[in-house]
Amino acid sequence: MEAEATVQPLISIAPAVQNNINAKFIMLDKGRTTVEWNTKTCLSLVADDTAAVHFQLWGDECEAFEPGDILLLSNGIFSSSSGRSNNNHHHVLRAGKRGKAEKVGEFAMVFVETPNLSEILWGSDPKDSRKYVQQAVISPYSTIFRPVI
Amino acid sequence: MVSKLIQISNHEAENPLDITLREAFSLLERKLRPPFPLSIPTKEEYQNLNRAILYGILCEPHLAKVHIKHLHGIITDGYQYFTSLLVKIVNELYVKLVEPVKRQLIWLTHEMVNVSAVGFDGLLVALLRQIVGGDFGEENLHLCFEMVNLFSSKWFYLLEEEPLVLTGALYVFLRLLTDHFRVSNIPNMESLRKMESDFCVRMLRYNFSLCLKIGRDLVRLLQDLVRVPQFCAVLKDMLYNPSAFRVDGFTDISQLYNTPTPRWYFSLRLTPEMESQLTFLLTRVKFGSQKRYQVWFAKKFLVLPERNAVIIDIVRFICCAHHSPNDVIRSGIIPRWAVIGWLLKSNMKNYVEANTKLALFYDWLFFDEKVDDIMNIEPAILLMVHSIPEYIDITNSLLEFLFILLDNYDPERKEILHRGISAAFNAIVRKHMVQSLDIFASNMIYPILKERLGKLLRHAVPEAQHQSRNIKLAS
Repeated sequence: MEAEATVQPLISIAPAVQNNINAKFIMLDKGRTTVEWNTKTCLSLVADDTAAVHFQLWGDECEAFEPGDILLLSNGIFSSSSGRSNNNHHHVLRAGKRGKAEKVGEFAMVFVETPNLSEILWGSDPKDSRKYVQQAVISPYSTIFRPVI
Repeated sequence: MVSKLIQISNHEAENPLDITLREAFSLLERKLRPPFPLSIPTKEEYQNLNRAILYGILCEPHLAKVHIKHLHGIITDGYQYFTSLLVKIVNELYVKLVEPVKRQLIWLTHEMVNVSAVGFDGLLVALLRQIVGGDFGEENLHLCFEMVNLFSSKWFYLLEEEPLVLTGALYVFLRLLTDHFRVSNIPNMESLRKMESDFCVRMLRYNFSLCLKIGRDLVRLLQDLVRVPQFCAVLKDMLYNPSAFRVDGFTDISQLYNTPTPRWYFSLRLTPEMESQLTFLLTRVKFGSQKRYQVWFAKKFLVLPERNAVIIDIVRFICCAHHSPNDVIRSGIIPRWAVIGWLLKSNMKNYVEANTKLALFYDWLFFDEKVDDIMNIEPAILLMVHSIPEYIDITNSLLEFLFILLDNYDPERKEILHRGISAAFNAIVRKHMVQSLDIFASNMIYPILKERLGKLLRHAVPEAQHQSRNIKLAS
């Protein structure tokens, strides 16, 4: 419950090397589980009422969460997808080794599917090279998980 | 300390209610064994002790007798706080409770009835709502059995103390019986059906004046059981021999027709989880963004063919018990009629579809502005109007069904139905619920329906004279 007070809206997150993202969101869609380097991973689409993003599930997280679940992420990380070495543009959110994702509810959360932070081209900030800024929008909506209309 | 109360799956957050109970128990565990202290607790200590004992009773069945004695000894509020905790557990955690805890919960419920705990009626209602319609799984049927057993064994006591809760149980078991009579090859179903039937028939035959409180939906439920001889006999007496019930003043079934069913009954056939998801959909989700929610709701509650009979109860609930406030209506939230339209498009068996349409139109049949809420008839008219032209098959099938009801629902009292449906259209026009009924003049409406509607409106809605003329001209 304590984490509730400190969750940040998804729209405010930017890529970083730190595990410092606390957010609450609803899972909208889930892809197929694949095994890479002996680890199960699965890409999903999650969103809150400010933005959507691709959330990467690891190990038994792949079976634990289903679309419609509301998740609380503590100490998560938003960085370029490690599973796709040939695609540095694709940034995904994940719990990482130091973070934790837990199911805290179902259904009762409003969301938007655009902007999608994983469909944005991020580049380093000319003023502060340690920071990332949005350079271009690749697509307003997820190109992997299509909106359901 | 791991929870002994509920099953928590991998990657699922702990439950706050479970935590408070567990913490109270581990804090006070040593004081839960005799000899018990005689000191008078403060309010906070009292509540903590209530929580600790509750956790003890539910999770330490072998010590339940010690704990309950302790409880009886410390109670100073007529069990009000204790019962409120139980209701919270049932509403929020029932599905997750581990099996032995569910058994203890039923035992404790009997105890709470025995001591006449403040709020025990609310506890019984909460448990009734956990019985899932169309679920023939062993656990769910066991809960049915426990509840019908409780209501039957505490019959006289409940009649004296909380008669209204008996009418709630009657509503629930009549509705469950319609599902239970439609299945075969389920172990122990026959004996369960017999217990449920005996309870309902006993209510109807010996406490009919109490049953009248349910209002018109009592007839709706009974009609769905017309193939069962003892219920057919009750219905026949209601129609042709009302004096059989020996209730002064009950002389005709139309007295029931004319009594709108209080909202409370409709929530009884929805689990709290289902109700809260529906309420979220109808108060927070924008029209146009509902698709994903509908998929999740259907996957959770309607996916099995035998489960989707609950759509009948959902439609009744939406029409009569969920009335959106004006600010919600104006804010682009998905309207009630659109949710019902979606439900009607589910893959339903024929009898479920017919009963769903009946649920949608039921208040039309007996509408009287003096006693009926116009919001109950709103979803049906808006669904018919908004389905033109894109979903014209819905408009035609609903309009057709309305006339089938008018002709067949109770042929001997057709006049009442005619008056009700006419009054409904009249109110719709006068309250400007739709801009105009002219839309029914569309060429896409079956000519025969258009003709009948035009005729009905000409007599029913003097204010809508020009509209009915249009409909007639167009036909």
